[in-house]
Parts: sequence; structure tokens; C-alpha cells
Amino acid sequence: MRTALITGITGQDGSLLAEFLLGKGYRVVGLVRRESWFRQGSSPELPEGVEILFGDMAEGVDIASAIHDARPDEVYNLASQSRPGESWSRAPETLLVNGLGAVRLFEAVRHHSPECRIYHASSSEMYGQACESPQDESTPFNPVNPYAAAKVYAHQMARIYRDSYGLFIASGILFNHESERRPLHFLTQKVAYGAACASLGIATSPATNEMGRPIVEDGVLSLGNLEVARDWGYAGDFVRAMWLMLQQDIPDEFVIGTGTLHTLAGLCEIAYGAVGLDWKQNVVSDPSLVRPLESGQTLANPSKAKQLLGWEPTVSFEDMIRRMVAAQVENLRSLDR
Amino acid sequence: MKTALITGVTGQDGAYLAEFLLGKGYIVHGIKRRSSMFNTDRIDHLYQDPHVSKRNFVLHYGDMTDSSSLIRIIQEVQPDEIYNLAAQSHVAVSFEEPEYTANSDALGALRVLEAIRILGLEKKTRFYQASTSELYGLVQEVPQKETTPFYPRSPYAVAKLYAYWITVNYRESYGMYACNGILFNHESPIRGETFVTRKITRALARIKLGLQDCLYLGNLDSLRDWGHAKDYVEMQWLMLQQESAEDFVIATGVQFSVRDFVNAAAAELGIAVRWEGTGVNEKGYDADGNCIVAVDERYFRPAEVETLLGDASKARQKLGWTPKITFKELVSEMVREDLRKAERDELVKRHGYTAPNHHE
Repeated sequence: MRTALITGITGQDGSLLAEFLLGKGYRVVGLVRRESWFRQGSSPELPEGVEILFGDMAEGVDIASAIHDARPDEVYNLASQSRPGESWSRAPETLLVNGLGAVRLFEAVRHHSPECRIYHASSSEMYGQACESPQDESTPFNPVNPYAAAKVYAHQMARIYRDSYGLFIASGILFNHESERRPLHFLTQKVAYGAACASLGIATSPATNEMGRPIVEDGVLSLGNLEVARDWGYAGDFVRAMWLMLQQDIPDEFVIGTGTLHTLAGLCEIAYGAVGLDWKQNVVSDPSLVRPLESGQTLANPSKAKQLLGWEPTVSFEDMIRRMVAAQVENLRSLDR
Repeated sequence: MKTALITGVTGQDGAYLAEFLLGKGYIVHGIKRRSSMFNTDRIDHLYQDPHVSKRNFVLHYGDMTDSSSLIRIIQEVQPDEIYNLAAQSHVAVSFEEPEYTANSDALGALRVLEAIRILGLEKKTRFYQASTSELYGLVQEVPQKETTPFYPRSPYAVAKLYAYWITVNYRESYGMYACNGILFNHESPIRGETFVTRKITRALARIKLGLQDCLYLGNLDSLRDWGHAKDYVEMQWLMLQQESAEDFVIATGVQFSVRDFVNAAAAELGIAVRWEGTGVNEKGYDADGNCIVAVDERYFRPAEVETLLGDASKARQKLGWTPKITFKELVSEMVREDLRKAERDELVKRHGYTAPNHHE
């Protein structure tokens, strides 16, 4: 039986990947911070059969111990401080976890099990104010926040460990990917939640936003710039790409995205449309929510992944949003019961 | 009168910059690390006794990996300018200590920027980040200028790239006067003894006086753009005196190989090196047929940076800067100084005392 170690297993991608790998017959071990475990309780989203090791990406010894104890054939490095906006106020921690954490992992694998294959989670945020569109594996990086700069650091270090030591490290440059498990502070989930509230006639939502205000207040969902466009894919498709990258003969870098742009307004239209409502009656653009230094428009060119991995998205944007709204409606109803 | 704070003041650039700024009438504060050995050789001539009143050169204990020490010193000094020169600056060592390299070079720069921000000095304090030509690594165009895409090839270069971006980010997001000097290799008689140029001049001087037999080097074909540190620190200062903060490449625009450097240094000592063999078997012989230069694979890097050549047109146009000291003058000065040190060691030895015998 093959063993996979997943860092960041309590996150959206981690839990989806754990399910996927268990389905493939893997033994799955998750590295989890004690605080995130006890905050969530035994996470309902983690499937039966996942083994848990406690440890922190900010502590080198924890990572080395996890590699030593779990003896993985594959490691999926998904752990990170994953909020670009918040990285301004948590810049050192972001580099410590997202950057140095990755290097500690590479070092541990190099010393304890050099045959182990590593998937490293890079991000389209690295393109920042991208100098070309769409972006592929050769597009230069231009990070515009501490999160992106830390991701560039880890991405380049992955390349160095691959080139200099011959480690099998594949880097996935993942564009935005969403699912029913996205936390509420992500844009797509916020909109899905807003649509669900509207369909159930909830004028003031129980859940609050980053400023501590209800996400839906007086029947209105406040968002930033409605014209921002993103390449949003379905996370379930993306975790399959992670696994595929580790089944190749040689480690490489891959852009994973849909190659299609949708605006925030378009997203709202689908989400509210899914519950038979007109989004324009329920959503406003609030200038105070516009980010000071927006990342540029990022659009994936996933041809390399298509060609070499045979990877293509299977869930459409519309389907994904409808699923997310349905899950939020179900969730709100169960709160009511 | 302006106040400057230099991190890495005990290093080559720190020493030259401190002297330069004192000459401009600055009050200069420097940060040094606690070490079990004396580590202030390069700035001992600038030292001022703490009992002297109105000192204009002050050293503080601190460390790039210790944010509270940085915040305390910056708060105390309230500098008009900070020159962030401190780093684990050795490329080969960065493969051995990637984590420490990131902690001091990448997080270290961030800690200083954060300190400026949280102390409310964003409008007062100007920040210079010592970036490096190693960012270009596997070069994407020749010569390299400000717009050339980066391709770092060592943990050192990747850590420095993070510091580069975070400096740009803080400038653009907080409106801080923060800029990067992308400096190509710069050398001097006080260059660290483990850097290739200094290693060459020091070894050849010692070989000349019979204190050493052979010089072992890595890749002899590596091409570098070597300038004099004294010229380059002037640029660091100039970059902070502009209307607005911008990043600049600083380089000579002339390239030599490591082998060229050996030949030039040997020539200064009256030694003509005869090269034989290729690759790892290449050897350099003196006129008497003694092997004085050989290749040791241990000095090869896991990923080599084969060639670096800078285009400093922007600095020339906007700052009116050109390097004054030529390659030949640089080599000559380094050899002269190392020969004096070798002569001192030889003299000491001849009189029955122990001469220092440092090794990498």
C-alpha cells in the first residue's frame, strides 16, 4: 500500500485530496497543528481512515519527525497561511510557514527519504501584476503581496531542490479553485452564502465577515469591485491534477486552471439565478472593500497539463456555483432545525 | 546632520559605507552580531571609545534573526536612512544552511521593513536593500538589467529574491522610500577570505612567499562582472538621495573568468601561470613547473551560475554614476594588500612566533 503524507489536510484541498487518495487505496497521513485540530474538533470533512500526526510547518523538527514516522511515498505540501489580503498584517508568519516550511520539508525528504515524491502547492498569486495573459509555466512572476512573495520563494526553492539534488518535486501553479468546502471568507463562498440567505429570506446573516459585520445585512451582500475577473475552477478537479503530477516519469511545473475568466458580477448572476433571484436586487459594490493593491487579472493557460497529464476540468463553473449555493442552503436549513 | 543605520556593518560593504558616510558628515550606527571571536576587524579603524562624548560612530549588538533587537535599535536610533547589508552572503554555504539563510536574508529584510512601519517611520526613514546579481542566476538575457527576469539558482539567491520583492511591495503599498540596489560582484582587499577573488589573491601571495603550495578552485570558467566595493557603496548612498525610490543595477559591464582573475593576480606577483589539462584535470604551473593552481570538485556548486554581466545604463543616466576603479587596479590593490599580510605572517614565522593559519 502506498502512503501519502498531506500537510494542510484540514483545509479545502487537503480534505478533498485525502478522500481522493483513500479512494485510490492509499494510506493517508495528515500533518495537523494542534490548534487547528482542536478548533475544528475532529473535522467532519476529514474522511474515516485518515491518520493524524501533530506538527507545525513553522517547526523544522516536526516536519522531519513526520517524514521519519510516516515513511511516505508521496508528500503533498498544501499547508500555508492562505490569505493574501491578511498576509500584509502577518507577513513574517506567512514567510515562515509558506516559505521556510516548504524548505524544511524538502530538507527532511532529502535526508530521510530521498525517493519520496513531493507535490508542492504554488499559486497563481505569484503572477501578481502579470506581464502577459494568459499565464503559463514560463510567465515571469511579479508578486504584489507578502503571500505571493513567500509563494515565489517556495516555488523557486522547489526548483533548486529538483535541479540541484534530483528530488522529485512537482509544483502545481494552481489558479483559484473553489468547492462546497471553501471557508466563508473566500469570495465565491461569500456569494454562494449570500444567495442561499436570499433564497431563504434571511435578511441579516448569522455569519460575519472580516470586519465582524453580518455577511448579509438588511438583505444586502456587500462586495468590492464587481468587475474583477478570475479563473475559477473546481477544487475536486484540481486535487486530481496534484496526484497526476506525482505519477509522471519526471517532476515538473504545471499551471492548473480552467483557462476561462468570469467576473464577480457573472458569478453573482449564476449564484442568485440558481435560486431564481435577480442578483442586482441583493448585491452592492462597496468602495471600501476594494483592495489597495489588487493582483492583476490572472488567467491560466493549462495546455501543458492537458498535454502531459491529460488533465482537464470536469465540473463547469456554473455547476460548481450551483453546488456551492445548494450546499449553503442545506447548511442554513440545518442550522434552523 | 543625517543619521544612518547600517546592518552588516562588519562586512566589506558595511565598512566602506560607514567610512563613506562619516566622510559625508553622517552619524553612523551599525549593528553587529555577538560572536565568540572578534568580528570588527574591518571597522576597527573607525572605532570610537564609548567614553568619548559626541560619538558619530556607534555600534549596537543585534541580529537579523532577532526582531526585537532590530525594533529596539531602530527606535533608539531613529535613522534617516537604513542600509540593509546584513546577510548570510555566501552562495555555497546557503546550500548547507538554507533555513538560516532565509531567516537572516529574507525574513531579516522583512523584519526591518516591518520595524520601520510599526515605529511610524515610513515617511522619515529611507531603506536600501542590498540585492544581488545572483538573482539572475541562469541568465535570461545578456547583459542583465533592471527588467531582466530573475532565475535564482541557490538558496541564497532565492532568499534575496524574496527580500527584493518584499522591498518593492512595501514601497508600492505603504509609500515607503525603499529601493533595491542590484549589485554585481564587488570586491576589495577586505572581501571575505572565502570569496573566490580574495581566496585567489590571498593564496597566490602566500604561495609567492612559500607559505602555501597550491590554490584549489571550483569552476574556472565562471564569468563574472567584478567591480570595486568602494565605488559601489557610493551608489548605495546615491540611490537614497533621489526624488523617488527606484531599483538600480550596479555593474561595470565588463566580464572576466575566474581563470582570467588568477592570471591577472599572478601577473601582479610576477608569476606567469602555464595552464594544462581541461575540466577537473586542469592545472596551473609556475615557471619552475610547480603546480600552484588545481581544480577541486568540492567547490563546484550543485547548480552553477555560469555567467553574469551587468548593464548599468540606468544608473549612469539617472544617477550619473560610472565606476572609477578598473579591474586591473582592483586586482593590483588586492594582491598588494594580501602580499603585505603574507609578508607579516612570514616575518612572524621566521622569528619563531605562530602566524595565523586560517582555513575554510
